[in-house]
Amino acid sequence: MTDPSSPAPISWRDWLLTAEPHSRRQASLGRAYVTWRRFSENRLAVTGLLIILALVLVAIFADLLAPHSATTGNLAGARLLPPGSPDFLLGTDDQGRDILSRLLVGSRITLAVVALVAIIAAPVGLLIGTVSGFAGGYVDAVLMRITDIFLAFPKLILALAFVAALGPGIENAVIAIALTSWPPYARLARAETLGVRNSDYIAAVRLMGASPARIVIRHIMPMCLSSLIVRVTLDMAGIILTAAGLGFLGLGAQPPLPEWGTMIASGRRFILDQWWVATMPGIAILIVSLGFNLLGDGLRDALDPRESGR
Amino acid sequence: MNMPFLMKHLRYLSAGAAMAVLIASGGPSFAVTPADTLVEGFAIDDIISLDPGEAFELSAAEVTGNTYSLLVRLDLDDTTKVKGDVAESWTVSDDGLTYTFKLKPDLKFASGNPVTAEDVAFSVERLIKMDKSPAFLFGQFGLNGDNVTEKVKAVDPLTVSFTVDKPYATSFVLNVLSSTAGSVLDKKLVMEHAKAVTPSEEYKWDTDFGNDWLKTNSAGSGPFKVVTWKANEAVVLERNDNYFGELAKLKRVIYRHMKESAGQRLALENGDIDIARNLEPGDFDAAAANPDLDTISAPKGTVYYISLNQKNPNLAKPEVIQAFKYLVDYDGIGATLIKGIGEIHQSFLPKGQLGAIDDKPYKFDVAKAKELLAKAGLADGFTVTMDTRNTQPVTGIAENFQQTLGQAGVKLEIIPGDGKQTLTKYRARQHDMYIGQWGSDYFDPNSNAETFTANPDNSDEGKVKTLAWRNAWDPKELDAETKAALLEKDAAKRAAMYENLQRKVLESGPFVVIYQQIEVAAYTAKLKGFKLGPSYDTNLVASISKE
Repeated sequence: MTDPSSPAPISWRDWLLTAEPHSRRQASLGRAYVTWRRFSENRLAVTGLLIILALVLVAIFADLLAPHSATTGNLAGARLLPPGSPDFLLGTDDQGRDILSRLLVGSRITLAVVALVAIIAAPVGLLIGTVSGFAGGYVDAVLMRITDIFLAFPKLILALAFVAALGPGIENAVIAIALTSWPPYARLARAETLGVRNSDYIAAVRLMGASPARIVIRHIMPMCLSSLIVRVTLDMAGIILTAAGLGFLGLGAQPPLPEWGTMIASGRRFILDQWWVATMPGIAILIVSLGFNLLGDGLRDALDPRESGR
Repeated sequence: MNMPFLMKHLRYLSAGAAMAVLIASGGPSFAVTPADTLVEGFAIDDIISLDPGEAFELSAAEVTGNTYSLLVRLDLDDTTKVKGDVAESWTVSDDGLTYTFKLKPDLKFASGNPVTAEDVAFSVERLIKMDKSPAFLFGQFGLNGDNVTEKVKAVDPLTVSFTVDKPYATSFVLNVLSSTAGSVLDKKLVMEHAKAVTPSEEYKWDTDFGNDWLKTNSAGSGPFKVVTWKANEAVVLERNDNYFGELAKLKRVIYRHMKESAGQRLALENGDIDIARNLEPGDFDAAAANPDLDTISAPKGTVYYISLNQKNPNLAKPEVIQAFKYLVDYDGIGATLIKGIGEIHQSFLPKGQLGAIDDKPYKFDVAKAKELLAKAGLADGFTVTMDTRNTQPVTGIAENFQQTLGQAGVKLEIIPGDGKQTLTKYRARQHDMYIGQWGSDYFDPNSNAETFTANPDNSDEGKVKTLAWRNAWDPKELDAETKAALLEKDAAKRAAMYENLQRKVLESGPFVVIYQQIEVAAYTAKLKGFKLGPSYDTNLVASISKE
């Protein structure tokens, strides 16, 4: 897809890296390519990306991959079998269910929680932060004090309080975690907004008669996006842990859903004699959290505006 | 937020930390309990009072059972009968209303005061007038604050007469008298410690009958007396040398409050305690495998059941009730989830009570259940909820039931909650299904029969809130049969009536009884003569000795 106006056909790479892009699209594709190159140089980041991709694939094909039912077990015949038993690679739990199948199907819940929280919390934080930073004055003061109130409580405790009020369940856990995770995003977006609100391009847009809403949405929010994406990715590990924590306390996913935190909680009683029941979901949480952290770290390096363009 | 819940997990953390310290300090400590003292690790956080006129909790019953004598007590060799304790003999008038008890002569309380008919009458009067939780047991006989001194009185120093309002079955009256509420108190000692109270609408008497003092002391004639009770710490008992029976072999008994199973197991293995009382299946198995430890178990008067609220139109269909009884994996649950702490039992009377049957007509049978559901017009299944308390083994059983119901196409949603939440909802008849336990209030079949089969008014305003009422079940003619059994004089005929009631509930009652609780304990092999009784107040410690 060479640009028709270019004099001679050039390689993809040169087209993407050109210092004089001919169109907006070429410019943004070029930027994305640079970012990807910087990202892919970081081996750990790629590992993280692969873990997350694997998680997504497992979640999509869980039904095909799982060797047994995740919810129906064999109480009398296959209870608390150790890992490596024939037919049960990771052992079975106290209801005689295959732990591997439960982990595979449970990945859906984990992924859904993370995605839903990100979809709810990030836009809310972004909107509140940019409006607050752009409007200033009492709007800023009010919004930021509300943010302060949320930030004043430890995240897990606040989520616990919300779930206790809303009633246990995975949907309520998602809402509770989303309610507690938007304030840092609002703070971040506000800080970015303050940095650009007085810059020349904003003044130019304003002179052209753009409404405040248009300025915030079209010209300020895009400036906040990269740091927000990094922050959300890094937070995902925390979201998984909070969801698992709620599940562990019996306030998250309810049986028979194979949520990883709930699985650890039910395995706790056997930790002295049947360690694998609690350990396997623990390892799953560890790996996925690690994946999100590595990915987030890599994204931060790749998206860092101070380094971009080089 | 649910603070006890958080605290519980904090405790796990601190227990873990404590274990880490133990391991780090290198090697086990060889603590030994004193030779003349028995130390039991026991969760005693339920005790709110040691006053037999007020206490209605399991661990408190064990303390009062060991510190007070009764008029009559359960014969532990044949628990369908009672034998005299301070009573030497008794007669029943021909109309079945008046019981006359002759006391054994020359008995003494732990304080040295003589045991007289006056004390017996006072104990019942006090129980009725204070009107605390256990008072209803004697209230069943038509006693109230105004007539109790008339109905229960000392005829002479060694004779008490006791008048009831209906010609109840003799075994029923005697069984109720054998509960801890029937403890004989030392009138002189108790009234010395009584506090003056200003009478009010609710409480018409000018004395507290020593209630405040008795919360932490004892005034009985049992083999032991209470030295001290510190909440969530310990209860200390000392031998009563004035006891009229065989004196206790050990001088002192200490119940140490220990909540966690793992903690008790560790303390028992280290010799810090002699008996561990609250072991979970895993720890119990480990103790059973340890050559230095012995284990013991005894069936208790508590049954675990799932009930189906008849307000739900699906659950009210007789075929559905039957189908659900075929959808419990009795064998699987018995062999795993309740192994050692319960045995499969399907009738509502626990083994050991008069008339209890051991019929087990139901087996896990999905095909049969599907057939029944199809007959009820529910071949495609339906969705129901079940309120479940957040404790084991109830949660495990609920999860298993969820799976087995699923095999017949019924979708079960488990609604978890703590004991208070689930029970409040259950008592308000707002549940679909409920899983829980019922412990007999006294060792007589009427306790369970009444709650499972009596429901005089099935409307929401019903005053008699039995389990049948809670599940909106109208037991029709069973209600009258239960009342008739209560008045049947002949013990054998009475037993047959209860057998009949149990079979009918098994057939059509909305209760899926799953198992009867077994209490387990592990103890050091040095102990001799340790037994568990059929109820907590018959877990007697006087016979225990140490090598």
